[in-house]
Amino acid sequence: MKQFINSLLILSIIPILSCTDVIDVEVPQGPTRLVIEASLDWEKGTAGNEQTIRLSKSTPYFDSNAFVPAEGAQVSVTNLSSSVTYIFTDQGDGEYRTSSFEPVMGQSYSLTIQYDGEIYNAFETMTPVTNIIDIYQSREDGFDDEALEAHILFNDPDEESNNYLFKFKRAGDLLPVLEAGDDKFINGNQIDWWYEIMEDEDQNVVPFEPGDILDINMYGISRPYYDYIKVMISQMGNSGPFTPVPAAVKGNCINRTNPENFPYGYFRLSEMVKERYIFTE
Amino acid sequence: MKTRLKPTPAYKLGFLWFYFLGCFVVSSQQSRTVSGTITDKSNGETLFGASVYLSGTTIGGTTNEYGFYSITAPEGNYVLHISYLGYHDENITISLTSDIKQDVEISEASTLLEEVVVTGDEPEKAILRKPEMSVAKMNMGTVRQMPVVLGEMDILKSLQMLPGVTNNGEGTGGFHVRGGAQDQNLVLLDEAIIYNTSHMFGFFSVFNADAIKDLKLYKGGIPAQFGGRVSSVLDVRQKDGNSKSFALTGGIGVISSRLAAEGPMFRDKGSFLIAGRRSYIDLFLKAAGEKNSVSFYDLNLKTNYSINPNNKLFLSGYFGRDAFQLGSIFESSYGNATGNLRWNHIFSDRLFSNLSLILSRYDYDLNFQQEDFEWLSSITNLNLKYDFKYYVSDAFKIDFGANGIAYNFDPGQIAPTSDDSIINELQLDRKRALESGLYVSAEQKITSKLSLQYGLRYSYFIRFGGQAITTYENDQPVVYNPTLDIYERGKPTGETYFSKSETIETYGNLEPRVSLAFLASRQSSVKASFSRMAQYIHLLSNTSSVTPLDVWTPSGPFIKPQLSDQYSLGYFHDFNDEAYSLEVEGYFKTVDNRIDYIDGSELIGQNTIETEILNGEMRAYGLELLLRKNEGDLTGWVAYTLSKSEQRTPGGNAGGPGINGGEWYNAFFDRTHDISVSGSYRLNDRWSFGSSLVFQTGRPVTYPIGQYTYEGRSFTSYSDRNSDRLPAYHRIDFSVNYKPNRSENKRLKGEWILSIYNLYNRKNAASISFGQNLETGANEATRTAIFGIVPSITYNFKF
Repeated sequence: MKQFINSLLILSIIPILSCTDVIDVEVPQGPTRLVIEASLDWEKGTAGNEQTIRLSKSTPYFDSNAFVPAEGAQVSVTNLSSSVTYIFTDQGDGEYRTSSFEPVMGQSYSLTIQYDGEIYNAFETMTPVTNIIDIYQSREDGFDDEALEAHILFNDPDEESNNYLFKFKRAGDLLPVLEAGDDKFINGNQIDWWYEIMEDEDQNVVPFEPGDILDINMYGISRPYYDYIKVMISQMGNSGPFTPVPAAVKGNCINRTNPENFPYGYFRLSEMVKERYIFTE
Repeated sequence: MKTRLKPTPAYKLGFLWFYFLGCFVVSSQQSRTVSGTITDKSNGETLFGASVYLSGTTIGGTTNEYGFYSITAPEGNYVLHISYLGYHDENITISLTSDIKQDVEISEASTLLEEVVVTGDEPEKAILRKPEMSVAKMNMGTVRQMPVVLGEMDILKSLQMLPGVTNNGEGTGGFHVRGGAQDQNLVLLDEAIIYNTSHMFGFFSVFNADAIKDLKLYKGGIPAQFGGRVSSVLDVRQKDGNSKSFALTGGIGVISSRLAAEGPMFRDKGSFLIAGRRSYIDLFLKAAGEKNSVSFYDLNLKTNYSINPNNKLFLSGYFGRDAFQLGSIFESSYGNATGNLRWNHIFSDRLFSNLSLILSRYDYDLNFQQEDFEWLSSITNLNLKYDFKYYVSDAFKIDFGANGIAYNFDPGQIAPTSDDSIINELQLDRKRALESGLYVSAEQKITSKLSLQYGLRYSYFIRFGGQAITTYENDQPVVYNPTLDIYERGKPTGETYFSKSETIETYGNLEPRVSLAFLASRQSSVKASFSRMAQYIHLLSNTSSVTPLDVWTPSGPFIKPQLSDQYSLGYFHDFNDEAYSLEVEGYFKTVDNRIDYIDGSELIGQNTIETEILNGEMRAYGLELLLRKNEGDLTGWVAYTLSKSEQRTPGGNAGGPGINGGEWYNAFFDRTHDISVSGSYRLNDRWSFGSSLVFQTGRPVTYPIGQYTYEGRSFTSYSDRNSDRLPAYHRIDFSVNYKPNRSENKRLKGEWILSIYNLYNRKNAASISFGQNLETGANEATRTAIFGIVPSITYNFKF
């Protein structure tokens, strides 16, 4: 349903006479909070033992330094069936790593973080993902029928309600692009998910060209995480009159010591497919 | 306060007021009645709100929507005095020795000057004696004098120049009245409900000025004959069509053109009007090789037929459509369609009646060409309505009637348009409901200084079966998760199927309406009013502005009817023999059961809306000031509104603190200050000028309070809902109206209108969005401004 939602967003900016410009705005400053990026991704066909959790602190909105590492925390993940605990060791740059993690499909895990005298924790289940059948390119589809887009083909499983997260990054681009989808209108079908880059002169963005390398990560995600990341993504770029009102998005991590001082971020366990596509003429 | 009554008490109520009527009939036997219709001499249009008095007495009144009046006075000889703004006064000597019928034709005061102007409205002056208050009226002539964007006269934009009426920013449709939401306005075109009032996302209104006779916006003190919305009633009436001679009017503009034809019909026993408009921006876009396009058209029809002096039939219709196309990806069309068949029947010279059968429909169709599927949604209603006006005596008039609206909601159906489509077929539950109303309203002169209008409406709503209703664990469609401090969808436990003959839920409400006017001096009066209103259908929208694709939903087991109470108090003063008038009004309004949306709510294709919403409340209060100059070469007004509109949604049955922590927050359409100045100046018979100025506090928005890095991107954390504001909105518009020299005997009469919107090219922010620059990775704020300076030229003609 990505295209559907995107179309609705585009529809909201249709007014032909409108113009946009970047302006200076004074914005309020909220409290500094812990940011938990605990994305344990299990690439298909790998052992999944190497895992990293990133901890940082939120900064004022227009601050040029967006990543302020949170060091000195104690981080661990526990398998709730076997009670085996995996300790993530502090790398001193906001990253906490382990190489002994044992992912089990459908297994529930807990995350525990001790930071700055407060204890945070979260629960999540390892969620599977289907295989990518094919990746191909075309120009006809997408918003611009002259620009290249990549198509990712996969079969949505029949039985359950499946949710997907995609992370696209073109080699040489500064930032990845996230897209999320569910199978609400397309359950059990073969899905053709396309990804196109729209030209944006203001931000010096050009569409795909032959030779461009695109890295594609497709993650299986739980429904609560889908609800979370969908809102996060929708609040990323646009707060026009026809988009839902932005709000503070709360993830699944709780501050046990002081609930008021809730953290940002999420504890996620996903199976993942990683592919690379090189565009041709 | 909800009172749930069975039908029986309503019937009893009915008997009560018929009994009531009887008493008054008896008390006025010695009098005689003069009644008739007031029409425009040049085109035969009936005039609504013309004042008809017996000279030298205080006996008289105003004409109703169909131009009918009825005056009862003791036997004797009188002079019937008719006055109406923009028309010559008319005096007719009558001998009231028996009940008589007296139709009167009055002629425009300056036919040479105002030929192109369609007149036909109540004097725009504070009418001191009438208990009616909080009413915004606009003369169609005034609408035409005002500068507008892209040269298309727009009654909705003109109304927004009056106090208490705002929009939700440029490029969004609809309007807001006294801090009420857009779906809380009842918009009627020839009595038919209009669900979407704008074309092209608010650039134009659906009302073609060539086809409109008059309009009246009730902001408060709403008479009992209206019901169904909690904020306001906009009553727009189409012209009947020229019954004297055939006429063509039209206009050619930059973006759109219009043409209307009208003339007598049925051997002078009736007339017709047909008016159409079409935009051609799409043709330009196509010619320029642009793949995206947007267009609209609409059609107004009306015809009437007099069977005899006591029976008249009217048939009117409207059909409008918007279309837009986004390359080869997607196309969409949406619009209103209405039809109304009316029968005016005069039972006696004191009892006027109108029976209407009205159909309204709004639908949209999205076609996703790339994904090969179609999305359809519609709301349709059929309304049967019978209204009576009984002129009991000079001091006492009664309106009463009943109506029933049968609704059909089709919130959405998805259909694949080819075998290759990856989309599955889906039909959201269709919903059916009946909204009925019964009312009586009296207007009474208590003393020569005090007049009262009081009435009662009883509304009853039935949500019919024909669908399944989901049941939830603990009866909670939304559940508060205390650990994560978020609202989640409840756990469905099953479904209960209701057959078409079953009732899912019913609601009944008594809606009292009272207003009074006290004439404090010859120039001034004080008025006060109270009205309670119930609203049974709701527009689902979790965005700050509603879109044409939002869906209406009826009240039911999870959504209760909205109930509003509004109190207003006003002071009205005429200066210099009515050359100037001042209106000051204050109001306080509360609305119960206003639905609000949980964070992350998903309304698109949502079959169980109840899992996305919580029940909240609204409150609004404000002070409105309107100073008008009604006469002379320079006319116009200054309007100022100071107001506050807020919303609050506690957790209620779902538990937890509620949306935005259960705190009051600014409604999206809250405007602290709203100043509008509008003026028009007539230099001579050929040249006239119009100008308007608008200043408004910026729209409430939610700003970022911080950023953080997650999954390689910078994400934003936001402040409390609507706790910040966009920069103030202001602009000045200007127009020049030129009427070339016209000889008396030339049939074609034209005028040129040059208008400039946003004269000093201010980039008013319609929105400010925050995001990460893809090239630099830094956060930035991007302002979207819809209209810079927009000059336009229009040629209007009449033949």
